[in-house]
Amino acid sequence: MAFEVIRHQLPLFEEEGRSAATDDSRGRDLHYLPDLPEEDPYAAGHRTCAGCGPAIQYRWVLKAAGQDTVVAGPTGCMYVANSTYLCTPYTVPWAHTPIASGGSFTSGMAAGYEAMIRKGRYPGPYPNIVVMAGDGSAADIGIGSISGALYRNHDALFVCYDNECYANTGIQTSPTTPYAGMTTFTPFGKAIPEGKKLPPKNLAKMMAEGHPHCYVATTTVGYPVDLMNKTRKGLNHVGAAFLHCYTPCQKGWVYQTSMTVELGRRVVECGLFPVWEYDPQERTYHYFHPPVQRPVTDYLAMQGRFGHMLAEHVATTQVGANRHWEAIGMDVPKTLREGEDPARHQRLHDEEYSMPLNRGVGA
Amino acid sequence: MTTLHADAGRPPRLQRAIRTPDGEEFLRGLAGTRVRQNGCAAAAYAALYANVDVITAYPIRPYTAIMMNLAQFVADGILDAEYIHADGEHSQFSAAFGAASCGARAYTGSSGVGVTYGYELYSIISGARVPVQMAIADRTLDPPGDFGSEHTDALCTRDMGWLMGWAATPQEVFDKSLLAFAIGEDPRVLLPQMVVQDGYFVSHIAGEVDMPAAEQVDEFLPPYQLPFPLDPRRPVSHGPQIHPEQGPPLQLERARAMEDAIPVIREKTDEFARTFGRKYPHFVESYLLEDAELAIVISGGHAVTCRAAINRLRAQGIKIGMARLLWVRPFPSDDLREALQGVQAVGVVETNLGLGGASYGGILSADVTTALYHLPGSRPLVTSFMAGLGGETVPMAEFDWMAGKLGQAVERGHVEKAAHWVGFED
Repeated sequence: MAFEVIRHQLPLFEEEGRSAATDDSRGRDLHYLPDLPEEDPYAAGHRTCAGCGPAIQYRWVLKAAGQDTVVAGPTGCMYVANSTYLCTPYTVPWAHTPIASGGSFTSGMAAGYEAMIRKGRYPGPYPNIVVMAGDGSAADIGIGSISGALYRNHDALFVCYDNECYANTGIQTSPTTPYAGMTTFTPFGKAIPEGKKLPPKNLAKMMAEGHPHCYVATTTVGYPVDLMNKTRKGLNHVGAAFLHCYTPCQKGWVYQTSMTVELGRRVVECGLFPVWEYDPQERTYHYFHPPVQRPVTDYLAMQGRFGHMLAEHVATTQVGANRHWEAIGMDVPKTLREGEDPARHQRLHDEEYSMPLNRGVGA
Repeated sequence: MTTLHADAGRPPRLQRAIRTPDGEEFLRGLAGTRVRQNGCAAAAYAALYANVDVITAYPIRPYTAIMMNLAQFVADGILDAEYIHADGEHSQFSAAFGAASCGARAYTGSSGVGVTYGYELYSIISGARVPVQMAIADRTLDPPGDFGSEHTDALCTRDMGWLMGWAATPQEVFDKSLLAFAIGEDPRVLLPQMVVQDGYFVSHIAGEVDMPAAEQVDEFLPPYQLPFPLDPRRPVSHGPQIHPEQGPPLQLERARAMEDAIPVIREKTDEFARTFGRKYPHFVESYLLEDAELAIVISGGHAVTCRAAINRLRAQGIKIGMARLLWVRPFPSDDLREALQGVQAVGVVETNLGLGGASYGGILSADVTTALYHLPGSRPLVTSFMAGLGGETVPMAEFDWMAGKLGQAVERGHVEKAAHWVGFED
């Protein structure tokens, strides 16, 4: 007879008062972390840029997952920057996959372990199976393979580390690049002053709406405890889970390298990246309501990729943010509603603390 | 709090993957019988006997029936395997790759444009040295939309580092599938395998297939054991980036793996004969070549017609024979040279399209010519025949025509052209 497949249940970290995305009346200044596992399956020794958001995310995800984990990484900046032949930052098994194969290769890993454990060829328990795919892989070329994997409900965690561009190839637009985000495929110029004209894909909502039996959540590197707990919830969920994580890219976005975690909070506080969790049992969304609501300029002005934005572009972005506030059930303060009027804005590079225009061409 | 794997260092529970009770009973009933089945069923039965762990499927004619058979085995509880219906061939091959990278025996397959849709994976899987098996029932590539058999789909992946062999009958499909697993999974080889059969001519026409006992297969085909699986007990990194100077040695290693497969193919083919009692030539089937002046080089199911045509031509006094390639990769240069020693003219039947190639016809003649170029003494004349394209049969009369062209070439002392389009010329 077949052997039983025994699955891990990882305990969650204490969130109260810590750097979690919880509705904490005491505000946003409580950054301290609970006792975390000492192990770092994503160890030092990689070649990511200073202030790399995805590297922070990789570390938290693998710290939360622990050593009994198998990881896949489709092509992307975190492939090129991490794995150099004869040198690896992973103390857990890791495999590169083609950029479109994040979902499918991981399906195979999950299916392989299910069958091997049942048939007595692996002693178990079922390992944590994680894939971390960039936004180009998860939202663009490999979206079909991830959707297929979620639909088939393999017991694995599918993470999108979203730095809102194809960073590896020198900052080209991806479907999650925000409106007016400058990339080398969406440069700004006289004919196209905003750079990128299209609003981004809502990747996580597509995954949640399209695969309602899956655990789906969004988070950012601004909330490490939230990120780690959602990782563990996704792994504990028997079946497929999808985690969309906002991870700033210093090289692509042009900001001060120390601001990565701050951006991870501001993007939420400006209403540009709602943090939520989808519960497949209840089939409901649980939205995080940040304790602070800011105008989008508090976010845009920190990044050179937005330095070319004109008043009307800033207003368009504020419109998008306000619709997010409404969608997650928060009131839109009067000042933010007034921000929908271009007359309230000026060119972004004239803002007091804005970053210089980024005319760079990337790698 | 997670800690290091509790089972670190422990061997698997069992040395051999278990079958289900229903599967044991089903195979006991089959053992020793001779069943009529087509090539698709034969491939599926071989995968059942091989006790594959993960099957990845996506529908495309004509190979689909292989996966339909396997789906039924899984549904009936005869085979305990994870059956993944992928969202396309690229995902299908990726999933098989992921499963096999973890140490599971993975089985996949395709036809026609499905083979080319997943093209990215071929080099990646062979470069990773992960011995996935892929069944191909070959089919034309588009355009035009055509269901018929043509070898072009599989042949355009020929240089991607997969072992590739053509089967001409359902029995051979069954045998070659088991043989290919044994060769590809051998630690001296570790290469993925394509077991190709002609679409419809083999995949959909029934033949008699001898069913072995499960114990015989288990003895011939030991459990899949990747030396470096993605296993948390022994972490490894697969497929990292390299620097340019690291490229040549890695490519050389992969090229050597292909060469090193040659003696293993010989060894396993002999072992197969000892275990199952069916003896195949290692690489090349020589049919009436001993005294032949003319020879046809062919692969796949059209060889069956070719043999009959040769019998008829022999009766007319024409000294003609046939060399059938059982493996196209690794290409059996030595065995082909030996088989064609003393032949004066060779015609390669190209059931494939190699547009703009050296012969301006098909793909195989370049390999055949290269192999024969190094024959000591006088080399035979080589030409090629474009035949059986789009799923057409290659009737006896066409083989007669080819024999005529080869005879004329010998008389003239040179070939008329590098590639003849059979049926379009006088």
